[in-house]
Amino acid sequence: MRTVLAPLAVFAVLFGALPAGLSAAGSGYLFRLADVTLIFCILALSMQLITGVAGLLTLGHAAFYGIGAYTAAILSTRVGLDAGLTIPASGLVSALFGVLIALPTMRLVSIYFAVATLGLGEMIYVTLLNWVSFTRGPLGIGDIPPLRPFGFDLSSPLGTYFLVAALAALALVVVHRLAHSYYGNALRALREDDQCAEAMGLPVVRLKIEVFAIATFLAGIAGALWAHTTGYVNPADFRFAESILILAMVVVGGLGSIPGAIVGAALLILLPEALRAIGEVRILAVGLIMFLCILFLPKGLFGEVAALDLVRRQFGAAWGGSPAVRPLGWR
Amino acid sequence: MFDRFDIFFVQQLINGFSVGLVYALVAIGFTLIFGVLNVVNFAHGEIYMIGAYAGLLAIVFLAPPWVALLLLVLAAGIVSGVALERAAFKPFRRFRDEASLKSKAMRESTLLSSLAVSIVVRESVEKIFGADMQAIPRAYADAMQEPISLGELAVASGQIAILAAAILMFAALQWILTRTDIGLSIRAVAANPLGAQYVGVNVDRTVIATFAIGSGMGAVAGILIGLYQGTIFPAMGFAPGVKAFVAMVMGGLNSIPGAVICAIVLGLAEAVATEFFGQGWADLVAYVFLVLTLVFFPTGLFGAGRERV
Repeated sequence: MRTVLAPLAVFAVLFGALPAGLSAAGSGYLFRLADVTLIFCILALSMQLITGVAGLLTLGHAAFYGIGAYTAAILSTRVGLDAGLTIPASGLVSALFGVLIALPTMRLVSIYFAVATLGLGEMIYVTLLNWVSFTRGPLGIGDIPPLRPFGFDLSSPLGTYFLVAALAALALVVVHRLAHSYYGNALRALREDDQCAEAMGLPVVRLKIEVFAIATFLAGIAGALWAHTTGYVNPADFRFAESILILAMVVVGGLGSIPGAIVGAALLILLPEALRAIGEVRILAVGLIMFLCILFLPKGLFGEVAALDLVRRQFGAAWGGSPAVRPLGWR
Repeated sequence: MFDRFDIFFVQQLINGFSVGLVYALVAIGFTLIFGVLNVVNFAHGEIYMIGAYAGLLAIVFLAPPWVALLLLVLAAGIVSGVALERAAFKPFRRFRDEASLKSKAMRESTLLSSLAVSIVVRESVEKIFGADMQAIPRAYADAMQEPISLGELAVASGQIAILAAAILMFAALQWILTRTDIGLSIRAVAANPLGAQYVGVNVDRTVIATFAIGSGMGAVAGILIGLYQGTIFPAMGFAPGVKAFVAMVMGGLNSIPGAVICAIVLGLAEAVATEFFGQGWADLVAYVFLVLTLVFFPTGLFGAGRERV
């Protein structure tokens, strides 16, 4: 019964109550807020797949989001492609970069992987910023056409909302099915102990690359939606701070929990927005929420793994070493 | 014509060397804390920034002589380092059982909390002082810009000051670590926290001392570089922090001389890259080095073998 009711409730809210309420309020600002929240839901879900389910701490997720946004921006402004094509194309380009980056880095574990993704994310940011002839650098790309896939005009606030909501729902279904399948169990086995999983015959590196490709595909889709709904992309929107924001959503919501990713995304987008009256405190609020959450709610709101346990185990594996091997002090 | 270019290139290398020393100053504190806690202190760049702002406040309100200025900044760094330890690291050292001490649980769970604290600190400073660049009063900043010519080459006095500070800090650190009681206990905790505790070393106090020393050095580096560059801003800690981190990883994570050498190599490489590709692309050098090091030398260039990376 629960397996039918819960998705039904989510879909009723997403496609019934929420758009009806927003239309009744008739405020473009609220529609925009709903779109941004849903885009970040997609991002948090994709990161949940990498970090929560497969246990790979990544600090460069915003870069793939940025690749998706720039692909959509360049394809639609220079090539004049339709939004119905730019959105999947963004996902594919982003996933291609994801695989290219995963191939060398997936052999690293834990903090080394985290640091490598941080470095690669910043490399992509620096490239977006400095390849002026292609990305227009710090000026960003403007005048990105709104969503009109295959001749359907969805550029009205309600139409845009429905497209974004549909794609977010699709991402939710995909991530949910992946996480609750034998495939998801294999990923959880990697998270718990990848050497053990390998000994049991799981193709560890291949699984990691696959999950990275799926997650970066979703991040690319989210980027394309951001580009089309905002109409303007700028490298500063895809920097380290944005990766941390997405990580904070996952940590606050709870690692490994799909409702957690959604609640985390909604909380960290809507709460700072509600605090706007006090001044621009978005990032400050994100930092505070994350800190308090780590301190008092180590499992997040819905988590199946404590964030600290994940970090602890991962770091133990990488840095622990045996006391006999570990040299004394500094060399 | 050709030897003019050569001189120019050597000049660029000298500038790169001083940039590398800047990274080295930050990397020393970073590596010190890593050596004891085995955890990346993401808030180290913020300590560096706090040092610069504390120096600016001191200059504006007190206009102290140079030595007093450096001592004030050192004190500010020590206080903020201890506060950071209290807020982001201490709460996670509540695990007292042998298993979690051995798995270094108390140390490694702090990655996320130091990241969160660094965000809060940076944003708070931005709220108080504004996100813009703040100029250091000229009376102080100019003293760092006096040219000293060495034959055909010119060096700014600030570069000499940074070199002197780097040597002094490195020497002081070696002296503290090898010649004082607190240094002895820091090395004991770095080697084996549980063993240190068994023989009566106060681990808590040692960790606080480590943070005080590392953060004091970070803060002094912040004001020196703020003075040398003439302006400071809330996000100034990010780039040197990341580059010091790259230097630490390249050096093999817990080797202080290794980190210093790699920081200088990084500065030189950035200068060469700026020469050939322009300023913007030079930022890429550090990240390329980081990824290449991780992929080809996962234990760092100066690190001993670890079990698994």
